[in-house]
Amino acid sequence: MSVLDIIIDYHMAFLNGLLVTVQLCAIIWSVGIIIGTLTAIGSIKYHKIIGIPARIFSFILSGIPILVFLYWLHYPAQSIFDLVIDPFYTAALTLTIVNIFGVYDLVREALENFPKQYLTAAKVTGLSKKQTIFKVQLPLIIRQVLPGLLLLQVIMLHTTLFASLISVEEIFRAAQRINAHIYKPVEIYTALGIFFLIICLPINGFAM
Amino acid sequence: MLIANNISKTYENEKIIDKVSLSIKAGEMTVLIGPSGGGKSTLLRILSMLTPPDEGEIILNDNKYKFPLPKNINEISPRPWPELTAVFQQLFLWPHMTLRENIIFPALNILNEEEAKKELDELIELFDMASFIDKYPNETSGGQRQRAAIARALILQPSYIMLDEVTSALDIEQAAKVLDILKKLKKKNISILLITHHVNFAKDVANQIIFLDKGKIIESGGAEILIEPKNKRLKQFLSIIESTS
Ligand SMILES: Nc1ncnc2c1ncn2[C@@H]1O[C@H](COP(=O)(O)OP(=O)(O)OP(=O)(O)O)[C@@H](O)[C@H]1O
Ligand SMILES: [Mg+2]
Repeated sequence: MSVLDIIIDYHMAFLNGLLVTVQLCAIIWSVGIIIGTLTAIGSIKYHKIIGIPARIFSFILSGIPILVFLYWLHYPAQSIFDLVIDPFYTAALTLTIVNIFGVYDLVREALENFPKQYLTAAKVTGLSKKQTIFKVQLPLIIRQVLPGLLLLQVIMLHTTLFASLISVEEIFRAAQRINAHIYKPVEIYTALGIFFLIICLPINGFAM
Repeated sequence: MLIANNISKTYENEKIIDKVSLSIKAGEMTVLIGPSGGGKSTLLRILSMLTPPDEGEIILNDNKYKFPLPKNINEISPRPWPELTAVFQQLFLWPHMTLRENIIFPALNILNEEEAKKELDELIELFDMASFIDKYPNETSGGQRQRAAIARALILQPSYIMLDEVTSALDIEQAAKVLDILKKLKKKNISILLITHHVNFAKDVANQIIFLDKGKIIESGGAEILIEPKNKRLKQFLSIIESTS
């Protein structure tokens, strides 16, 4: 059985898994980017209330393996609070938090290091505050942040594979199930890789 | 008329500007000279209202700005720009716009599209910018960017323009051209504050020359202070400049 045969024979199983992966990503990406960006802007404006806590949390989070964080939110946290949450949402929440702080770090750094001279130029040429934000700051910050942001989103896509470990039926779990049937790990995981490549290549291409 | 009274500024316990008072009359050119680190750029930033001084006041036409600003206020009001504008040696062109866009974009706040285009065409001609006006700043030379930065200030038709060593990045010919344009501005009743090492230009054109050293005005007056300086420090400074130019 070749890789192509596997993709053809099991395309439904793969596609179902892929659908869950895409749904996970849709949440992780959109909420992560929006809340992460807002947190970064807030942390500059309200340094004490948002800036310092966000930085401490981000620092701690960066030291915890995502897998441990995921597992911890899945089992101990839910038993402490006597909750049973669908693993899909647990995975979505965990990875969204990771993405929020990843995005936060990127955007905060771009904001903090924004060259002041461009703002000075905006002042002396009489630009309004709105023009300064939307025509000078925003375009320059987007240009600076975009490559790192897209890379981070690709990494987040890859980390959705961890969701399989708390039994989310995403694409990696689908691959594992197929493998349990026919035991062709090399071909099956190659097929999985091809699916990921198809998603990631356009994003990486755009980032460059 | 721009009047500054008793302006002081301290950075890290060091008095960089020490009780400076001066006035710039409409249509006159004031040239600031002095040794490196003497506080010229700091004073220019203060007078262009970009850096608030620790104490003193600045009166611009009918507006009085008192420093320090009242608590909870960190923006001066009313905003004096672009009626008062400034150009710096480190070029502050926006990197995501072409030179043309850099010049046109702020101009559209005070001119309509047609007027802005006409004015820009004149400036392109004046500064010889046709060959590079549609390039991005990082695709142009330092001298080309410098000319665009000056053009961006001029199209705003300011009444006060402050320029910090804007000819340093230019070759002799271009520098002469810019100085020549400044001479013409003076005739248009625009007040100019200029930091420059071109002492001979100052001698010919300036109405007022201010020698600033260690944050203090050591000597000021017309061209005569360059011909017959009273102060020893200024004498020394001029002889060093003469021997190097
Ligand atoms: N933002 C700042 N923070 C701390 N020190 C500053 C700051 N700006 C200027 N200084 C100090 O103030 C002094 C005067 O600097 P300034 O740039 O005004 O001198 P200058 O006369 O323009 O010199 P040059 O001819 O070299 O341009 C210097 O000692 C400089 O280190
Ligand atoms: Mg200087």
